[in-house]
Amino acid sequence: MDIEKRTQELRDRLKYVQDIFGPDENSNVSMLDAKLNEFILREPSLTKQEVIRQLETLEELFRFLEKKLERELTPMNKVRIVRHPQRICLKDILENVYDNYTEIGGQDDYSIDPSMLIARAYVTRKRGKKVHNQPVMVIGQEKGHGQEFRNGGSVKPWGNAKALHYMKVAETENIPIHTYIFTPGSYPIEDYPGAAQQIAKNLYEMAGLKVPIVAVISEGGSGGAEAIGLADTRIMMSHGYYSVISPEGAAAIEGRLRGGQRADLKLIERCADQLKMTADDNKTMGYIDWKIHEPELGARPEHYDFFRKLRKAVIASTDEIVLNVSGMRMLRSFALKRHKGANVYVRWTLSTRAKERLLWVRYLKFRRMAQGAYLDKRHWFSRGSEALGEVCSSLYSYFRYDLLGRQRKKVSELAEDVHAEIQVVMGRSARYWGKVLSKLFFKKDKKEVDKEELTTLTPWNGSDQNLGQWQYISPQAKEDQSITCPNAGVHGCLDQWAPDLFGEWAGVCSFCGHHFPMEYQWYIHNIFDPGSVREIFSEIESINPLQFDGFDLKLDEAKRRTGHKCGCMTFEARIEGTTVMVAMFMAAFRGGSVGAAEGEKFIRAMERARKKQLPFLSYVHGTAGIRIQEGVNGVIQMPRCTMAVRRYSEAGGLYLVLYDTNSYAGPVASFLGCSPYQFAVRSANVGFAGPGVIKETTGLDIPPNYHNAFQALSRGHIQGIWDRREIRHNLVQSLQTMGGRNLYYR
Amino acid sequence: MVDVKTLLQELREEPYEKIVIRAPHAGTVEFVSSTPGTRVVGPSGTWKEKPGTLLIRLEREKNKKPIYAPQKGEIMALADLKPGEFVQAGQELMTIRHYLTREEVIGRILRQSLFLFLAPEKGRYYFIPDVDIKIKTKGSQSVAVEEGLELFILSRMKRETAIRYTGPSGIIYAIYFDTNDSVERESPLIGVCPEDQLGQIQEVVSRVQSDWEEQD
Amino acid sequence: MKTTNELKKHKVLIANRGEIAIRIMEACCKLGLKFVALFTAPDQHSEHCVMAQKLGGDESLYRVSSYLDANEIFAVADHAKATAIHPGYGFFAEDYRFARRVAQRERKLIFIGPSWQVIRELGDKINTKRLARKLGVPTVPGSDKPVTDDLEAENIAKSLFDFQKEQGVGNPVILVKASAGGGGMGIEEVTDLDKFRSVLRRIKNYSKRQFRDESVLIEQRIFDFNHLEVQVLADRTGMSPVHFGTRNCSVQSLGRQKRIEVAPGFDPTSTRYAFDAQKVLEDITEYSLRMAKEAGYDNIGTWEWIVSPTGQPFLMEVNTRIQVENGVSARIASIKGQKGVDLIAEQIRVGLGAALGYAQEDICLEGVGIEYRIIAEDPDNKFIPWVGRITSFDWPDFPWLTMHTQVPRDREYEIPTDFDPNLALAIVWGQTLEEARIRGKEFLHALTLCGENASGEALKSNISFLERKSDTVLVF
Repeated sequence: MDIEKRTQELRDRLKYVQDIFGPDENSNVSMLDAKLNEFILREPSLTKQEVIRQLETLEELFRFLEKKLERELTPMNKVRIVRHPQRICLKDILENVYDNYTEIGGQDDYSIDPSMLIARAYVTRKRGKKVHNQPVMVIGQEKGHGQEFRNGGSVKPWGNAKALHYMKVAETENIPIHTYIFTPGSYPIEDYPGAAQQIAKNLYEMAGLKVPIVAVISEGGSGGAEAIGLADTRIMMSHGYYSVISPEGAAAIEGRLRGGQRADLKLIERCADQLKMTADDNKTMGYIDWKIHEPELGARPEHYDFFRKLRKAVIASTDEIVLNVSGMRMLRSFALKRHKGANVYVRWTLSTRAKERLLWVRYLKFRRMAQGAYLDKRHWFSRGSEALGEVCSSLYSYFRYDLLGRQRKKVSELAEDVHAEIQVVMGRSARYWGKVLSKLFFKKDKKEVDKEELTTLTPWNGSDQNLGQWQYISPQAKEDQSITCPNAGVHGCLDQWAPDLFGEWAGVCSFCGHHFPMEYQWYIHNIFDPGSVREIFSEIESINPLQFDGFDLKLDEAKRRTGHKCGCMTFEARIEGTTVMVAMFMAAFRGGSVGAAEGEKFIRAMERARKKQLPFLSYVHGTAGIRIQEGVNGVIQMPRCTMAVRRYSEAGGLYLVLYDTNSYAGPVASFLGCSPYQFAVRSANVGFAGPGVIKETTGLDIPPNYHNAFQALSRGHIQGIWDRREIRHNLVQSLQTMGGRNLYYR
Repeated sequence: MVDVKTLLQELREEPYEKIVIRAPHAGTVEFVSSTPGTRVVGPSGTWKEKPGTLLIRLEREKNKKPIYAPQKGEIMALADLKPGEFVQAGQELMTIRHYLTREEVIGRILRQSLFLFLAPEKGRYYFIPDVDIKIKTKGSQSVAVEEGLELFILSRMKRETAIRYTGPSGIIYAIYFDTNDSVERESPLIGVCPEDQLGQIQEVVSRVQSDWEEQD
Repeated sequence: MKTTNELKKHKVLIANRGEIAIRIMEACCKLGLKFVALFTAPDQHSEHCVMAQKLGGDESLYRVSSYLDANEIFAVADHAKATAIHPGYGFFAEDYRFARRVAQRERKLIFIGPSWQVIRELGDKINTKRLARKLGVPTVPGSDKPVTDDLEAENIAKSLFDFQKEQGVGNPVILVKASAGGGGMGIEEVTDLDKFRSVLRRIKNYSKRQFRDESVLIEQRIFDFNHLEVQVLADRTGMSPVHFGTRNCSVQSLGRQKRIEVAPGFDPTSTRYAFDAQKVLEDITEYSLRMAKEAGYDNIGTWEWIVSPTGQPFLMEVNTRIQVENGVSARIASIKGQKGVDLIAEQIRVGLGAALGYAQEDICLEGVGIEYRIIAEDPDNKFIPWVGRITSFDWPDFPWLTMHTQVPRDREYEIPTDFDPNLALAIVWGQTLEEARIRGKEFLHALTLCGENASGEALKSNISFLERKSDTVLVF
């Protein structure tokens, strides 16, 4: 009996190793296979002793070679480990790490989204004779060891919404949150609330969540990971991966594959390698705080040691976060620093002041990330003087807006109140006197029309306004050729002459209103007051931080072609006299993808807009998502930029987003999608993943207009659709009707 | 009740439809699929979003426009044109032999069994907006018609008049006109299936579904 | 200066259909020019196709997908090696973008009409009104720039009411128009100042939806006016423009469509007017030429006027094209004593760059011309067009009669449903108004126009309407 069991166990171990090493030729794996098969073949002819002896040798060989294999693990092997059905899952963690728990809102497949699991749990700590039950909110993706209805941990938008809901509950209850990330990525559908929009909401809320958050990453696949990953402490399991995209996805992009073609294995392996997605890589780059060691070839449910380790880690992390921001901490935090997992007791509730500090520490933590992933070529002197300038301008803005502004506002509010009071007291007589006064002082109503003006020429300076003339004419308007509207089949639009279409009509089909794409220059010159655009931070440059193969060349090419150093141009400009801060994402630069340089510029522009109290516009001329060749350096811009937005909005700023052409993935799922005022230029597409990716990951066939602006509006993802020719007018209108309390121009 | 058997037999004897590809507008032609006998396919995909086989490029005012096969079939003949030769609007460019699909066979048979509402006048016809929306969203069979219902707008001489439906009550089973084209007087606009005949019509449909073999 | 021989190198593409296409090809032949004509599928039996083949051979006729597709026109023009495009009236005649494309495309052509800048300038209501006011030409009282501010609008409305009362108008009415609108869309009248706000709101909303523009024009509404026109012609040499007299187009159908046009505009020798009609005619002619000169007008054009019952003229708009009714002015004119003036030929000649070659004093106007628009329609029932087949269409060839029609006389003809319903233009000339009226009625009486539609109903036409109206033309 025992022998049979032990043989089976070895069979399972072999199967697991084979799964992990996949189709690669590996002599150790082959040897295990050969030896085990040999034993099974010979077993009937052996005596019991011999069987036991050989079995023991065999087990020893397995232990030895597993150890050896552990050292040989490639990133792709690790990807296979975290995806293996035997990988520990959140349920295992709840059972083994916490002392008690109740699952919230789910019983197997009876759940709004079985791939997102919420549980209230507690850890019990004894201090002397006292027993403390410390509650936490546990949130994470559940793969359920391959249960189909769990969808492999690919969370639907409403699953992420559920997660956010319980984060807010935790905040109300003032208890810490432990999140566990077991996801290959989000389920990329747009059904309400929409994959991208919901992740953006999660990030925005987590940026200001006033409780400690600890995240543990096993499989951290891009947006899906970020949805619950913005944490004060981020722990990563040693065999996990944390990446901007799956190696397969990266290979599909690198190999320029379309329509469901499969990338070849070599390319996938190479991508897995280059994306620098392992725990060690992420630790080195500073995107995780701790790496927690797993048993050989990855943690599986029977590895109780590992759960103990994990328990210690999450408790210690929570303690540390709390101690770091609360007053009474010296000794305990010292003890913790000396010995991770030292047995000290820390209360996990935060005081009001500690909460504020917590948010500030969290902001700084992310603000300081990815600093080595872009280039700032300025001389130290100009950097220094800029820093000085920043200090001066923040001092100035403090006096101008906070001190004086507040006083002035108070005075004017008082004056308004007094005036209103007087009006009530004076009642009718005030109106009478008002009339008398106005008659005394102004002989005639200014707007009275002279009868002479009804028959003779009156002055008017807008005579050229209605001739459809623009400051900037697209080079597309220089071709003597006719253009077919893509809607011609449906709406019967006739071909239009390029000089008319791209000149006077601003690229708008005069039959159906379809908007042809225009260059970003068109917007710069035709939306803002002429000559008012002043570029800032132009010296920040995109680099190839991961030394991704061949990417240097591509980057140089993009820089040469566009004349910009990265895909985001930041500038101050005026619109009808009001100064606005603008971050523009250019489709012409690597598809408008966002990497460390773009993120850094965005954050700096946000910070400056906050200091100078300017409204902020993100004009997305097009973005394909996060720049995959930068790996986590890119994906980390999602939380970083969103936190900057949050800080700016809470300071009273107005953050507008305008999407044009195509905007997808990470940026939409973070710092763009979190704006309460998102608009789209007509004919724009906005969404999380393109049709190809949706087909690939979900098997769903989506209609051609799935990401169209009108659909996005119907789903509530954007707040309006603008005609290109009216953008200037609509921006002025938005500045007048929207915005936070501190925008002084109102 | 129509004699489905005979009709099917007739169709089997001549199971092809000749599709003539004409120049939609003036321009110079360039044949892409130019050998008679070449198999072509029509638009495909869940939403017919993938165009059919590229047959011809027609260039006008430096704008090359593709002409795709509208249906599955086989190229029968090409117009005798040199590459880059100028053609006028409406000129015949190519003919395709198309083997009738089940849907089309059903359509042809139904045309003989449905009540056909004919165009009272020559002109362009539109459905009234309410009905139009319903048809576009839920399909024509969601629209029930009855005597006196205002159903169409007839547009001609830059004037529009409402046209009422006359005939038996029922649902619109088929639409025979295209808003972009002028309809001759007395050509059918819609085929209406009276409610009490719905069963028979469905019988025809299932009969064809099982009896008509589609060909590639 | 271009000589007639140089002109003969040109080939004119006629971007139009029906009777105007026929008149243009005839004018081309008269000038010795080659031409190329177009037709669409529904028009294949039109007489203009027959004429094109008769006058220019098979290669002078091209089938196109639509008269409204500019690309189609240019593709044919290039293939047929045309050098100029005549737009006729309607379609592209007043589309400055089309005219601009003709002049600016790689293979340049000549647009037979005013330059695109002039079309753009005078095609804009507000620009035209302001140009008129700048030159002291009377315009309809009201605003001369787009009004966006509600308060300002209300003030204009108020003073317009006051103004009319001062002028002795019993029941003043004002019009609120979308400044980007046209063709009778986006116009409402206000009889009561209290209702102004709601009308303004409505028009603004409409205009915002329709034209992405909220501004309005506010004007006095003039009642019971006569509709007059001044026919202007200028060449591209910068010489002073000339005129071919005035026309009166006051007999119209319900939808403000002209049915009878008479030249000259008034006839003070035979008819009594409540004002000095001769002076009005002279004034509007002088005003029109003044504006034409200022605008650098360089082809044929018509200045449209409304004349109030008290004899006040107001400029309405400028039509920068040949008009349907040009023939009636030509009919009463002679140049240097030569009768048989053809304004379309003149337009082509100056359009191709030739000098006018005569001055105002060389143009003489004599007698009265009446033009009838013969249309299959029901004047007793809202002028609804009649559709069907014409079985016979014929008339005696009177010496004082000119007919322009695309309806064949020798065979049956199905009336196409996609275009304006004009069947024929009949121009009658008389030495006096009385003679012209008598001849007009004689012609209408002798005209046969029969047909039936698919349900066997007989053709309905406006002939009796035209007869009825003949007695009162030029009476005001």
